[in-house]
Amino acid sequence: MNLPISFQRDRVPGLRGLAGALVGPLIVAALVCLVAWVVYDSFPSMQIIVLLFGINLVMVIGYQLFVGSTGIVSFGHVAFMALGAYAGGISAMSVTEKSIFLPELPGFLANLELPILPAMVFGGLVAAIIALVVAVPLMRLSGAAASIATLGLLVITNNVLNQATALTHAPQSIYGIPEVTTLTWVLVAVFAAVVISAIYKWSPAGLRSRAVRDDEMAAEASGIHMLSARVWPFVLSAFLTGAGGALYAMLLTAFSPQSFYVPQIVVILAMAIIGGINSISGGLVGALLITALNEVMRRIEGGSSLFGLHLSAPTGISAAVLGVALILMLRWRPEGLFGSAELQLGRDDRRKPESWKGQGLVEAPPGPAVKSNK
Amino acid sequence: MTALLQHIIDALSVGSTYALLALGLTLAFSIMNLINFGYGILLVWGAYGLLGLTEAGLPFGVAVILSVVGVTLLTMIIGRVAFRPFIGAPPITLLITSFAVLQIVQYAAIVAWGEKPRIINYPPAFTDVLHIGALRVPLLEIITIGTAAVVVLVYFVILNRTPLGSKVRAAAELPDMTRLVGIRPGTVQMTVFAISGAIAGVVGVLWFAKSGAITPRSDLEPTLKAFIAIVLGGLGNTRGALLGGFALGALEVLMSVTLPESVLGYEPAIVFAIVIAILILRPSGIAGAKVNPA
Repeated sequence: MNLPISFQRDRVPGLRGLAGALVGPLIVAALVCLVAWVVYDSFPSMQIIVLLFGINLVMVIGYQLFVGSTGIVSFGHVAFMALGAYAGGISAMSVTEKSIFLPELPGFLANLELPILPAMVFGGLVAAIIALVVAVPLMRLSGAAASIATLGLLVITNNVLNQATALTHAPQSIYGIPEVTTLTWVLVAVFAAVVISAIYKWSPAGLRSRAVRDDEMAAEASGIHMLSARVWPFVLSAFLTGAGGALYAMLLTAFSPQSFYVPQIVVILAMAIIGGINSISGGLVGALLITALNEVMRRIEGGSSLFGLHLSAPTGISAAVLGVALILMLRWRPEGLFGSAELQLGRDDRRKPESWKGQGLVEAPPGPAVKSNK
Repeated sequence: MTALLQHIIDALSVGSTYALLALGLTLAFSIMNLINFGYGILLVWGAYGLLGLTEAGLPFGVAVILSVVGVTLLTMIIGRVAFRPFIGAPPITLLITSFAVLQIVQYAAIVAWGEKPRIINYPPAFTDVLHIGALRVPLLEIITIGTAAVVVLVYFVILNRTPLGSKVRAAAELPDMTRLVGIRPGTVQMTVFAISGAIAGVVGVLWFAKSGAITPRSDLEPTLKAFIAIVLGGLGNTRGALLGGFALGALEVLMSVTLPESVLGYEPAIVFAIVIAILILRPSGIAGAKVNPA
């Protein structure tokens, strides 16, 4: 069999190469979405899980866009999800509901009542604007210092959402968001996210970002502006994550700031790292695997029989299993299932890359670690 | 005047808890590049150990010693099984690994102790309040400050006056050279895990005497405080970490005294904003010195 597809890290130059590189992740997305659609259609009890899975796909693509482009592992993306969920959810809420649940809302928000698509964009934009404001200082940092700073962003966001009762009804849950997220909208969001992410990845700006990721000094020496190579993926990624958060809000309809905090990081992190942090296709597949794993664990929590064995476990086992999966993956295949490779349409005419090794986190490029003071 | 003295004692007590937390984390960073996300859960396990042992009828002092020993062993086991394979990897890989370890150890705590908040029966020495003139000093604050002084002293004696300590300091300064002269990196790493774990055990006892109830998810706050303290002091710098802990304690007390009621709720956000500002303005921390384990 000689299919016109290939797995490679770099795309073939030229317009055909670009088209092939854009279609590749879309094919993976189509396959993953097909699985989702079949499950959605055949098991009515699984519908909510499939919708959440689709939203997680959007999150993973958004997360991967930033981490894959910059090499900075963010612990703060849940903050953008929260911002998108509150902004998108409030903008979609009907004016009458708002006057009941959130009477202290400022004027323009109180009179806003958006349909699902503008609400998603609104959620994404709010997250993106906040990201733009914080990115300029944050993105000067590298390595573990940057990761801790993104964690700080999450703590700050959580704290502010908890205190801004007029906007969020916190610390209680917010209610009354219309339940309008459907499978169609989720799938539209997934494909849009893949397209945005793939266009960015193969664009000159994306290439510049990855150049800074791989060798900051050499990239800067060749005239690449380090800060903008990191700020834009951060903002774009926040937009996608925020839009995903808005979808999440319009699916669950009620949530509190605690729905978006440190425990939520592990799912997205595991999906992205297990799939391959530098690959869109990898993120999609990673999300599918982790969701399947989570679903099995959820059944075990509820108590179930598997091959005649009765299994049951206290709530929370899925986080522990994700922890084990993360450690095993980082140990044996730190570059993730897909490494940096991307499914692409069109045959790979060039020499095969020697190996995927060296593209993972463990053997990441030397970059200025925090221990610059040594 | 009394009020000022009161605030200074408060700040010293809070600060010494944070300083100890930072001390336990920072050595692991200077030797192994490990920033341990799972540090807080060690405190939680220590507190649960204390809870179980006191409920089993052991005298409080014995229970404290056993729980500190238990946390030390737990930390060494985690270090051996989960962290050692990753040593030499970039800090971020170790950070993710420790985050994964946290998920596992936290789940173990959920299975073993349940999600419901539990309360340790502390002896009256931990709960009484001393009245000196107009001053109200909880005994716990004195115990905390005293314990911190002893732990820091022991730490510096171990690192500066014992052969094992010399090996650790050597490994922090010149890791390759240390290997060349035949010091096993494994010995050094296990020593570091043991020190880190013992400190976590001690802080666990103090932490939950102050905050009261333990749940398997009580780990986040101490972990964040420890992160803040080591960032303030400069990653991998022991004196900086201690200073960072005290600075954080002073900052918190200062804010609780001076900030108006309406802004007080934003305290964590303000603290973290300051941390990020320091990360950007002075990446090497307020102490700004070189890596220096002791």
